[in-house]
Amino acid sequence: MDLLGALENFATECNQNQRLRQMNRDWTRLVELWATDTDLRLWLRSDAGLISAGVGSAADADLKISAREDILREVFSGTITPTEPYNAGDLLVKGRQDDMMRLDIITLLIWGE
Amino acid sequence: MALSGDLKRILPLRTAISTSAGLASAAINFLACVEIAEYAGGASAWLSLLVAGVLIVFAGANFSELNGMYPSSAAIRVWIRRGINDNVSMVTGFVYATTVVFVIAADAFVLGHVFEAAWPAVSGLIWIVVLLGLVTFINLRGIRLAGLVQDGNGLLLLATLVTFSLMVLLHPHTPLTVARMFHLGPNWFQAVAIGVFIYVGFEWVTPLAEEFEDARVIPKGMFIALGLIAIGFGLFTLALSVVFPNAKTLGHSLVPQLVLGMRALGPLGFWWMVIVSLTTAMTTFNGGLATASRFIYALARERVLPPQMARLNKALVPQNALLTLSGLSLGLAILVYVTGQYLFLINAGAAVESFMYALTAIVVANLRRREPNTARIFRSWGVPWASWLIAIIFTGLGVGSLLAPSGEHGFPGPLVFLVLLTLLAQLYVWRVVPKLKAARRGGAKVAIRKS
Repeated sequence: MDLLGALENFATECNQNQRLRQMNRDWTRLVELWATDTDLRLWLRSDAGLISAGVGSAADADLKISAREDILREVFSGTITPTEPYNAGDLLVKGRQDDMMRLDIITLLIWGE
Repeated sequence: MALSGDLKRILPLRTAISTSAGLASAAINFLACVEIAEYAGGASAWLSLLVAGVLIVFAGANFSELNGMYPSSAAIRVWIRRGINDNVSMVTGFVYATTVVFVIAADAFVLGHVFEAAWPAVSGLIWIVVLLGLVTFINLRGIRLAGLVQDGNGLLLLATLVTFSLMVLLHPHTPLTVARMFHLGPNWFQAVAIGVFIYVGFEWVTPLAEEFEDARVIPKGMFIALGLIAIGFGLFTLALSVVFPNAKTLGHSLVPQLVLGMRALGPLGFWWMVIVSLTTAMTTFNGGLATASRFIYALARERVLPPQMARLNKALVPQNALLTLSGLSLGLAILVYVTGQYLFLINAGAAVESFMYALTAIVVANLRRREPNTARIFRSWGVPWASWLIAIIFTGLGVGSLLAPSGEHGFPGPLVFLVLLTLLAQLYVWRVVPKLKAARRGGAKVAIRKS
């Protein structure tokens, strides 16, 4: 599965999870993802908890995430937790820590500990 | 290649300054100043603080380089892992996190004595339990103190110190002479070693790097904050030597800031200092618990700590991590309050920080060799030779802090404690972490408590 496919699956899982929809009803954010090795840019949007994803740059993003494409794919397909590459310095983020934590919690709720 | 466009929300330089100054400004600093003055032999304590401050500037330069390379809230966890190895990164992470518990417990001790001085009818222990419990409750509910309150308190404290100290210094009962100001006592080296403690926490602004669009404001903010801290607490120690001309009598005061406030402005100054001590300790509790609980959460998510530490309550707060930290801080605060051994916390805290500054100097030198092509928005000075020299100096200061007498019988409690803590952390990393990492992931349903 490629990165876009992983992101779209991630969005579907989020949207099917009622607890997540409830939790994110006050969370409207735009996230930009940049695969540093392939220069691929994608976006992820939460619109009051409804998640969508697509290809392209995101102007005025709330959160910017950069890593190698394989790392981004593993994170958004639940193979690894975001914290693992983050604590190794392989995944860098720009934006508010609350938003970072929220994304991590979403992966926690979908894929567990 | 870089990330495109601007972030919607960015933090300005003033936030970097106020956060750095605010996190370094703990209520226990008042007692640390007393200890520094005792070791320095009186009025020359300001000089010890200045020397410690100059050395800390080099540490600040190292933090700036590392932060520019890897701007991450995981900070030392990332830097040491890349600059040395994962094992050292985990052990130092655990030991470093205990400094937060030390500082919270130490501030609780100060707060207890301040309130006991203000309202002698109520035991300081009750104040400690109530106020620490209140901050824990607020954090558990997910209510964050406004950044303005949190960060502004550091600047309020420093402004108060400068104003009150100048009022005392301009109308001294015992004039300061040049001879007194430069008289170096026999334990002056230890005064510098403990002087490091005054600046502890200035670097805790680096985990906020991700919230700044331009990471270069972090070094600027840290250096300006260091200058402000040096001026504020330097003047405070000078004023203390006017209020207490005999250095040996200093040690008997557990509320020197209240005495100074009284001397500067009478009862108004006394009560102003009570309020400033309260807000300072409360912001220390709040900032310490919020930051450290999320650090523990991150380690649990990485499966370095048990997954129970990543459990969230309904307010999405890592409640087990928070309650554990709060409980440890409260237990330590009560123990210290009952025994009066607060110097233990200051000396151990100063030592941990000195060792951390030594380690970051080594990490900077190593990363220059390992990752020469990684972008650096700030380059530390004199790498690698100055780095090794700084590492040696801070290691020496750390040992000096551990060997400084903190008990009546000269037993080096902080040294024994720190050695045991490091050994325990290493044992945990060797024995427990591999099992946690190997454990299969559980289901999503167990992640959040229903209650």
